[in-house]
Amino acid sequence: MEDEEPPVLTAVSSSARQLYLLLRCIAFSNKAHVQISDLGLKLAVDEASAMEASAFLDKSLFTTYTFNAPAQSQNPPHPDSDDDLDPPSATTPTFQISLPALLETLQIFGLTDPSTSKPPWARDAPYPTSTTFTGNNILGGMNNLCRIIYDIPGAPLSVTLTEASIRTQCDLTTYEAEYTDEIPFDRQALALKVIMRGSWLHDAVQELSSTTPEKLTMYAKTVRGKPFFALSSSGTLGSARVEFNNQPRPSAYRTPASTNLADPPAQPPTNLLETFQLSDPDTVLRSSYKFSLIQRAARAMSVATKVSIRADTQGVLSLQFMIEVEGGGSSGGGGKISFVDFRFVPLVEEDDDEDEAGDDVDETIMRHGSGSDEASEDDDML
Amino acid sequence: MVILNFTLTPVAASKVHDLLVCLGKFSDTVAIEARREKFTFTALNSSKSAYAAITLDGNQFFTHYECVPSHGGPDGRFTCSMYTKALLSVFKGRLYDPLGRDGAIDRCDVSVQERENETQCRFIVKMVCNQGVIKTYKLTYEAVDVMHALFDRSVAKNRWSMHSGAIREYIEYFGTKTEMLDIFAGEDGRCVFKSYTEKISNGKEILKHPLVTAVAVNTSDFEEFVVQTGMHIIINVKDFKAIVVHADTLKTSLKAFHSQPTRPLQFSYGSEGLICEFTLMTAGDYSAAPPTPAPQAMNSRQASRTPSTTTADRKDSRSFRPNMPPPVQPASRRDGSGRLRNPGSRQASSAGQAQPSRKESDSLFVPEDEDEDDAWAPVDHDREETLGWDASASHDAAAFPTFTDSGSGSRTNTADSNEVFEPTQRVSQIKGLW
Repeated sequence: MEDEEPPVLTAVSSSARQLYLLLRCIAFSNKAHVQISDLGLKLAVDEASAMEASAFLDKSLFTTYTFNAPAQSQNPPHPDSDDDLDPPSATTPTFQISLPALLETLQIFGLTDPSTSKPPWARDAPYPTSTTFTGNNILGGMNNLCRIIYDIPGAPLSVTLTEASIRTQCDLTTYEAEYTDEIPFDRQALALKVIMRGSWLHDAVQELSSTTPEKLTMYAKTVRGKPFFALSSSGTLGSARVEFNNQPRPSAYRTPASTNLADPPAQPPTNLLETFQLSDPDTVLRSSYKFSLIQRAARAMSVATKVSIRADTQGVLSLQFMIEVEGGGSSGGGGKISFVDFRFVPLVEEDDDEDEAGDDVDETIMRHGSGSDEASEDDDML
Repeated sequence: MVILNFTLTPVAASKVHDLLVCLGKFSDTVAIEARREKFTFTALNSSKSAYAAITLDGNQFFTHYECVPSHGGPDGRFTCSMYTKALLSVFKGRLYDPLGRDGAIDRCDVSVQERENETQCRFIVKMVCNQGVIKTYKLTYEAVDVMHALFDRSVAKNRWSMHSGAIREYIEYFGTKTEMLDIFAGEDGRCVFKSYTEKISNGKEILKHPLVTAVAVNTSDFEEFVVQTGMHIIINVKDFKAIVVHADTLKTSLKAFHSQPTRPLQFSYGSEGLICEFTLMTAGDYSAAPPTPAPQAMNSRQASRTPSTTTADRKDSRSFRPNMPPPVQPASRRDGSGRLRNPGSRQASSAGQAQPSRKESDSLFVPEDEDEDDAWAPVDHDREETLGWDASASHDAAAFPTFTDSGSGSRTNTADSNEVFEPTQRVSQIKGLW
């Protein structure tokens, strides 16, 4: 009785918006690969094999998550399973769906939801603009119940959304997976690892975008034991560089700010770069990426609480964003943490250019490296 | 090699943002002139009818200011021009945030890199944010010569001043699509700000709808109001709005100086080391104005020309003074005076050249009439070019070192060869000829 077999996946989420917010971070491509495993759903998109992004919907995001590996298990085990997860124990059904269609579905009731259209800082406001029609938050996420069912391999992905007495069911056509190889990222041979606030990175990328650059160059080095991390770009009107120096400054500036209680309390004068690891502290790490691709991650940067920036020895860049989606009410204890991953293939530097431009930039980097407070000292060192 | 370094506080940096927003309403590019003791942003609009200069005092506005121009001694200057947009992307809003949130800065360091041993010339802005983030921008700039419109306040007998906040309220009433602003000093102790658009139709097609909004203000509401009664003075309403909005960010009084219609008007305001001066061309009904020789030269020209469709009614409604039309000098004779004429003689020649006949599009400047050779020659830094504009309207008032058209050869030739040079042609149109 094949028909009686339970569906491959039954997942119920109490908040479609959570899923929406996560998936929106990778919404730059038409087709997304969906991979279903014991641990959750992974949606991945890629662009021209030069970048890829994936969002992992952990099963803890769902109130119910039932995965039954397809019985006949025709699918060969995929060698390209996500490195961040344990190797899936069972076969993992993989297919493609239209990501815009899925997002459209998830927000089918969300159009009136004020919180999705608001910037992150406004979302936590208790009930500023809620009306009868927008009271999702008040009801603790009981509305917008989202049920995702994947019946058998090849069947459409059925997404059912329920709000109050309205029920919408969407069957999204699934396509044959056409997996290209993942961008290889060697986490055993890391050249750099930086963890910082996502908003800092977002701010920096926004800043650089004003020069309408082609590429973004990343620098990292250690100056007398102090970490230094910079992003730089240049366009027709000039160049811009954003530097991150780990210099806790108990300067006059923090004092007035700390008196303000409205400021997030999680802002003591901690280090800007929470983690900074450079495999070879004696050299300047420098690698370039296509700016337009990096900008695809801007939305993830803006909502992420933290970002882990890693580069392996080949220059492949991995941005891992830790995103706290506010609990849908059903799960106590505040927000749940989810991860969205981006990977970028570096641009190959042309040697000729590098000699001139590279030296120049490096020199200025060194000169301004550790902030002007110690500029003179710095010069002496050099 | 020029040395130009200065440091701004967050408050000052946000003022720079405000002034750039204002200058951006006049021109796409903003020119910078740095002297030993002051730093000036200037902007000139494309029709050259409005000129803005915002001067920052070296000691007062900056926490640190150092400028050593490469040549010129104590009067030397460093000048360049940049895209307003590029500067605005550096001097963003919210640079100053008392709460110290993201985007706020600690201080702003600016320097100019122009050295012989370096391949790049850059205008370097370094924003030092809290928590150790440093944003460095290196902007390209264009070396240009900066010109100034001169304005002689001693002959600007009419003046008024009012707090910008009050005027800010008045400009809210002006229609968004209106073009001109008529400032009229009535006899009943009122001043009327009237924004209007004249109806323009092309056959049956109405191109512009007439729209008039008048705001009458008691002259007692002004801090100072010394204007000849019955005088109309007409400026561009957009310019006025831009000025008022910026003046309001400084919460200061806006002062206006003008002599008579068709002569320049200057708005001036400032606070804490920041001085803003906007010199605008005016139009207006000047029947009540005292007779002066200079405008008449232009009047006669206008009376004799064929009125164009767009400006016809306005011109006709004016009562020109028909007396004493001086003969138009042939270009060959004018040419003899050559460069470095005194400003008075420029008046006649500019009228004779027949180009600024339409008052609304009157240029602030007599256009640069450089010879072809001159245009390609390297800039001569010893000879400081200052395009002047004689507000006094009297021929012998050469009190300031204005010097205008360095050689009017090519222009006059063009005018000659065309025989009848349409007087209604705008400066911008003429430009395309060479």
